[in-house]
Amino acid sequence: MGHYFRPTTIKEALSLASDWPGNYKYFGGGTDLQIYRKQKLLNNEAIIDLSELDDTCSIKADENSMKLGAFVTLDEITTSSDIQTHFPLLAEAAASVATPVIRKTATMGGNLLVNNRCTLYNQSKEWRDAVGSCLREVGNICLVTGGKDKCFSRNVSDTAPALIALNAVVIIHSQDGKKEIPLQDIYARDGIKFHDHLDEDAIVSEIRVPTKPASWWFKKLRLRKTLDFTSLTVAATVDSAGIARVCLNGVSMSPVLIEESLKKLTVETVIKKARKNCKTVDNDLMPLKYRREMINVYLNEWWKSK
Amino acid sequence: MEKVQLNVNGFPQVVLVGSHETILETLRNRLNLTGTKQCCDEGTCGSCTVLMDGKPVLGCLTPTVRCVGKEIVTIEGVSSGDNLHPVQKQLVQNGGMQCGFCTPGVVMTAIPYLKENPDPSIDDIKEGLSGNLCRCTGYKKIIEAVKNAAEELNG
Ligand SMILES: Cc1cc2nc3c(=O)[nH]c(=O)nc-3n(C[C@H](O)[C@H](O)[C@H](O)COP(=O)(O)OP(=O)(O)OC[C@H]3O[C@@H](n4cnc5c(N)ncnc54)[C@H](O)[C@@H]3O)c2cc1C
Ligand code: SF4
Repeated sequence: MGHYFRPTTIKEALSLASDWPGNYKYFGGGTDLQIYRKQKLLNNEAIIDLSELDDTCSIKADENSMKLGAFVTLDEITTSSDIQTHFPLLAEAAASVATPVIRKTATMGGNLLVNNRCTLYNQSKEWRDAVGSCLREVGNICLVTGGKDKCFSRNVSDTAPALIALNAVVIIHSQDGKKEIPLQDIYARDGIKFHDHLDEDAIVSEIRVPTKPASWWFKKLRLRKTLDFTSLTVAATVDSAGIARVCLNGVSMSPVLIEESLKKLTVETVIKKARKNCKTVDNDLMPLKYRREMINVYLNEWWKSK
Repeated sequence: MEKVQLNVNGFPQVVLVGSHETILETLRNRLNLTGTKQCCDEGTCGSCTVLMDGKPVLGCLTPTVRCVGKEIVTIEGVSSGDNLHPVQKQLVQNGGMQCGFCTPGVVMTAIPYLKENPDPSIDDIKEGLSGNLCRCTGYKKIIEAVKNAAEELNG
């Protein structure tokens, strides 16, 4: 028996979550969650729809800073003239997610917390039953690496690397109260518990970007120009003090950030750090060797563009 | 199960639906509105697109309960009697369909798209319809039909 709740305040949503321990899911736009439910990768009985919450904000962006409600849609982000003018990096990253119609439903918060992907896991139940389920489900080995203790499913959010490069913080609510944490800190380098650094009932309500960068760069690698999840997303900014923040996603269990003064960086050191910190395995539609090589190509492109 | 009141194509409908049921399932299985197609059923092909308060949404991902209090328009609700909507008319005239399975989704995506973008280029239309997969036409005729529909709507 399923239950569908539409709370109107964050407090009510948190109290519903505590009524259904381990058996609920928050629902932003549902464009990620519904796929997981259809493929029987999630079987929670309660859905807590967050779209009616009336204590959240919308979009505020000017030449200094940006504030976004977690429930604004990606379409609202890409079409906001304030974001296009002052934070084009985010507008471009959001525009690279899924398709125009999906972006009208998909939310900012949902994109930051999109579930990790792996070609051997994100399949129909029949497919998984035929091939054998892996560590992340009920099996006991990783079908990609043969390992018994680690899952390498990929974080595929395109807006996360952009917002991490922009030094964003997120406002989180849970039974423990309200917290503000740097966006990169919510991700764990673990393909099964990829948001392990968040309280289980955490609701992301807001995203804040403190300053505007001096320059930015963004590129997403995927099979088609639309629809497909990322095979590699790179977002980079340089601030007025010359600090570069380069964030890679789609190539590891969590976004990988390299933050360093440009004075101390060479393109070789950025590539070396990226290749070392990305735990890239063969779990995407694009071949592993190619994806690894593209890390070098993109970082070189960014370096030359500065 | 929940008893909900929906507004579909301007008609109020009271239906008993599953709490996690999608509007695609409700339209097809409970209201016999089978114009909206179930194809990939996982957000990838666009065949199940319907309008919710004028905004295109994928029927296969949208819980029915979420549609309460909203105006739903399906492919059955876009023509007035025998007078086809310009998008429908141009698809017919330009041969923008073969098996026809993706067509309802194309129409329900193109109508709100042309409202927001009344004067699109061919490249704009390609991007706007990039979530609608067609396995027959090779897209050229669909894109041309939507371009012609834009011109017709602009009078
Ligand atoms: C065909 C297709 C293509 C896609 N392509 C891409 C792509 O290119 N890039 C990409 O990143 N994604 C892609 N997606 C996945 C998805 O559409 C996006 O990630 C989308 O932004 C998710 O947002 P949502 O609001 O729909 O999330 P939901 O499905 O509602 O939620 C996603 C997760 O976040 C949790 N959640 C949602 N909101 C909150 C909140 N405010 N606080 C706490 N938890 C929350 C949910 O419980 C769930 O676990 C694609 C999906 C489809 C169907
Ligand atoms: S990386 Fe391995 S354990 Fe993780 S989802 Fe893929 S096959 Fe399963």
